[in-house]
Amino acid sequence: MSAPDPSTTVDPSTTVRPTRAVVACVKFTTILPEVDPLDGGVDPDVRRAGLSESDLAAVEVALRLGVDHGVPVVAVSVGGADADPSLVELLATGVARAVRVDTEGAPSATVAGLIASALHDRRIDAVAVVCGDYSSDGGSGSVPAFLAHELGMAQALGLIEIEVEVPGSLRVVRRLDGARREVVSLQLPAVVSVEGGVADLRRAPLAALLAARPGDIEVVPGGSTVHLEPARQRPWRPRSRVVPAPQGEHALDRIVALTGALVERTPPRTIELPPAEAAQAILDQLAVWGYVDDERPGTTDAPTPDAVERSDTPPLLG
Amino acid sequence: MPDVDVIVVGAGPAGAAAALEAARAGRSVVLIERGPFPGSKNMYGGVVYGRILDDLVPQWWEQMPIQRWVTRRQTMILTDDQALTVDYRTENWGRPPYNGATTFRPDFDAWFAERAVDAGANLINSTTVTGLLRDGNRVVGVRTDRPDGDLTAHVVIACDGVNSFLAKEAGLYHHDGAENYTLGVKETIALPRDVIDERFNVRGDHGVDIEMLGASPDVPGGGFLYTNAESLAVGLVLSLPALAASGLRPEERIAQLKAHPAIAPLVEGGEVKEYSAHVIPEAGFDMMPELIADGLLVAGDAAAMCLAAGIWLEGVNFAIGSGAAAGRAAAVAVRHGDTSATGLEGYRARLESSFVLADHRKLRDAPHLVMSDLAQQRLPALACGVVEQLFTVGNPVPKPGLRRIVRGEMKRNGVKLRDAAAQGWRALRTFG
Ligand SMILES: Cc1cc2nc3c(=O)[nH]c(=O)nc-3n(C[C@H](O)[C@H](O)[C@H](O)COP(=O)(O)OP(=O)(O)OC[C@H]3O[C@@H](n4cnc5c(N)ncnc54)[C@H](O)[C@@H]3O)c2cc1C
Repeated sequence: MSAPDPSTTVDPSTTVRPTRAVVACVKFTTILPEVDPLDGGVDPDVRRAGLSESDLAAVEVALRLGVDHGVPVVAVSVGGADADPSLVELLATGVARAVRVDTEGAPSATVAGLIASALHDRRIDAVAVVCGDYSSDGGSGSVPAFLAHELGMAQALGLIEIEVEVPGSLRVVRRLDGARREVVSLQLPAVVSVEGGVADLRRAPLAALLAARPGDIEVVPGGSTVHLEPARQRPWRPRSRVVPAPQGEHALDRIVALTGALVERTPPRTIELPPAEAAQAILDQLAVWGYVDDERPGTTDAPTPDAVERSDTPPLLG
Repeated sequence: MPDVDVIVVGAGPAGAAAALEAARAGRSVVLIERGPFPGSKNMYGGVVYGRILDDLVPQWWEQMPIQRWVTRRQTMILTDDQALTVDYRTENWGRPPYNGATTFRPDFDAWFAERAVDAGANLINSTTVTGLLRDGNRVVGVRTDRPDGDLTAHVVIACDGVNSFLAKEAGLYHHDGAENYTLGVKETIALPRDVIDERFNVRGDHGVDIEMLGASPDVPGGGFLYTNAESLAVGLVLSLPALAASGLRPEERIAQLKAHPAIAPLVEGGEVKEYSAHVIPEAGFDMMPELIADGLLVAGDAAAMCLAAGIWLEGVNFAIGSGAAAGRAAAVAVRHGDTSATGLEGYRARLESSFVLADHRKLRDAPHLVMSDLAQQRLPALACGVVEQLFTVGNPVPKPGLRRIVRGEMKRNGVKLRDAAAQGWRALRTFG
C-alpha cells in the first residue's frame, strides 16, 4: 500500500499546515512469554507484554533527534488497545503525540502502509523515522524497510550508534556480519532502525505520568481495506529441517555423524563483489539450495561459490 | 493544596483494598507499586480466604482468578519418620459463598488492584517510593524514584509490606528485632492436573491445604503444601535467628521436607518451576508498630498484621481488612478536613471492632506457643509415639493401657506433666 499522493487527495486535513516531527514507530508485543518446555506452547501473558528494548531505544533516539532538530516527537503504533498503557507512558516521557492504528495481525508491508497513511492523513512531515530493529515476537525486521519505500526515504537499518553530525545529517554505525561495522553518513529525512543497546529510554516524570490519559492517544481505524494475514494457529517457530538418519554401526558413530563433527565440510567463505553481482550471487546460491526457483530470468550459469564446493564434496551426512 | 487526597504505597492486597475504599468514598487516590504490575513481585503460600471480600467485591467468587477451592484441610504432625494427620473435608467450601481458594499472587493482586482502578484510583506501576515528605512531624507526601517524583497528599497509607521502610522512617516501629520474623520459603512444583486429583483425592476445581507442625527438624517453624490447578506449593516458615544459627540453607530444608516419607509420594515426579522466599512478621500483635501518625496510616504486613499461628497462616485477609479500614478512615478524615493523628483515629476504631485486631489480640500468644521447643519437637514426637504404640499390635503381649503409653512417651520425649499442663492451659487461653 502506498501513501496517497497529497496533491490528488481531497482531504480536509490538507488545509492544515504540516507538522514537522521525528516519528518513532513502536509495537506492543510479548516480551517474556512463558514457553512450555515439553510441548513448546507459548503463553503470551499480556501483563508481561510491552515495547521491546529496541523500540524503547527508538523512542529515546527520536526524543534526542527531536531536541537536536527543534521538532516534536510523534509515536506511531499499529495494533490493538492493549498497547494504550505503553503509549500513555510514552506521552509522559516527552513524546508529543501518540497515534495508534487500530488493527491487529497485519503483515509488515501493510503495517508500513498504515503508518505512512496515518502520517499523511495527520499531515505529519517526518524529519526522521526511528524504529526498533525488529519486534521480539519473531518479527522479520522488515517494517522499517517497507516504510522507507512507502515514504520514499533513505534507510539505514540495524544501527548500533547514531549521532547528529549537523542538523539534517546523521553519522550512524551499522552492525555487519563477522563482527564488522559500517559507518554511514546519512542525510535526513530517512528511516532508521536501532538495536536495543543504542539508548535507554528516559523514565517518565511522575507528574507527567499522572497527567497522561489513554484519551490522549489518537486512535485511527485500521480500515477494512487492510489485507490481514490469516492468524497464526500456533506460535511462531523456525521451520524444521528434515535430516537424514545418521549412518554408523555404533551409537557413538551415529551421534558424531548427527553433530557433523569430524566430517569434512566446506568452510564458509566470504566473497567480495560489486553490489549487483553480489545480489545475483545471493539469488543463485538460494536457487542452489532450493529456496528460489532457478528458472528465473537472469539466472547466470556461473557456478556459485557453494555450488562449486558442493559439487565435489560428499553430502554432509550419510 | 496537596496533589491528591490519598497516596497508597504498595499494590498488594492491603494497598488495593485501601485504594478501593478511599476511591469509592469519592477521594482522589494514587496507588503506587514498584513492580511492573501488582503482584509481580509478591509471593506467599497460596490460600486466600475470601469472606473479607464479601463487602468489597460482591460475588467475588465469580470473578476472582483462582486455582482451586480448598475443600480439604489437613493438619499434619511430623517427626523424622512419622506423620499424624487430622484430615477434614467438606463440600460446603466448594460452593458459594466458598471459604478459601488457592490463587497465584500475580493473578490475584492484579485482579484486585484493577477493582481499585475501576473505582477511580490511579495506579502507577514501576515506581518505587523512596521516602516520606514531611512538614515538621507531619507526613505530607512521598518521594519516588521517578524524575520530578515528589507527590503530596492529605494522607499517605503505607501498605509496603513486611519490614516497611515507610513505617520505620516515620519512627513507628519499636519491636523489629530479627527474633520477631520468620522466613517463608516455597517451591512451586508442576504436576499434571489428573495426577494431583488422584494423589490428593480431589476432583474438578477442588483442592487441599495441608499445614504441618514439626516439618523442620531443629529450626522452629511450620510447613505447608497447597494444591494449585497444575502445580503444588510446598514450603516452610522458619524462625530467622534459628535458621541462621543452624547453618543449613532454606532450600536444603525444603529438600528435607520433600524427602519426608509422608510428603515424598505427594511431590514425586514433579518439576520445580519456581523457588521463592519472603519474610513474615511472625510475632503479630507483639511487634505491631504504632498504626497512625499525622498524615500517615500503616496497614497489612507493613503493620505486622499477618497471623502466623501454627495451624493458621493468614495474611492476605488481614491485609485486606486493615487496608479497607485505612482507606475508609482516610476518606472520612479528608472529608472532615482533619488528617492529623487525631483525625485519623477512626482507623484504630475500625480495626478494634473488626477481626483484624480482635484476632491478633486474642492470638497474641500463639506465635510464641507454636514456636516453643515443646510444641515444635517434643509434642509432635509424643503424639506420634502415642499413636504408634496404640496401633502397634504387639501380640502375644497384651495391649498396654493408654495411660501407660502416654506416660512412657512423655518420659521418652522429656515432657514433664507440669510443662504439658502449663502449655495446655496457655493453649486453652489462647485458642479457647
Ligand atoms: C511463605 C509465605 C506463605 C504465606 N502464605 C499465606 C497464605 O497461604 N494465606 C495468606 O492469607 N497469607 C499468607 N502469607 C502472608 C501474606 O502473603 C501477607 O500477609 C500478605 O501478602 C500481606 O499483604 P500486604 O498487601 O500487606 O503486603 P504485600 O503483599 O507484601 O504487598 C506489598 C506491596 O508493596 C509493594 N511495595 C513495597 N515497597 C514499595 C515501595 N517502596 N514503593 C512502591 N511499592 C512498594 C510491593 O511490591 C508489594 O506489591 C504468606 C506469606 C509468606 C511469606
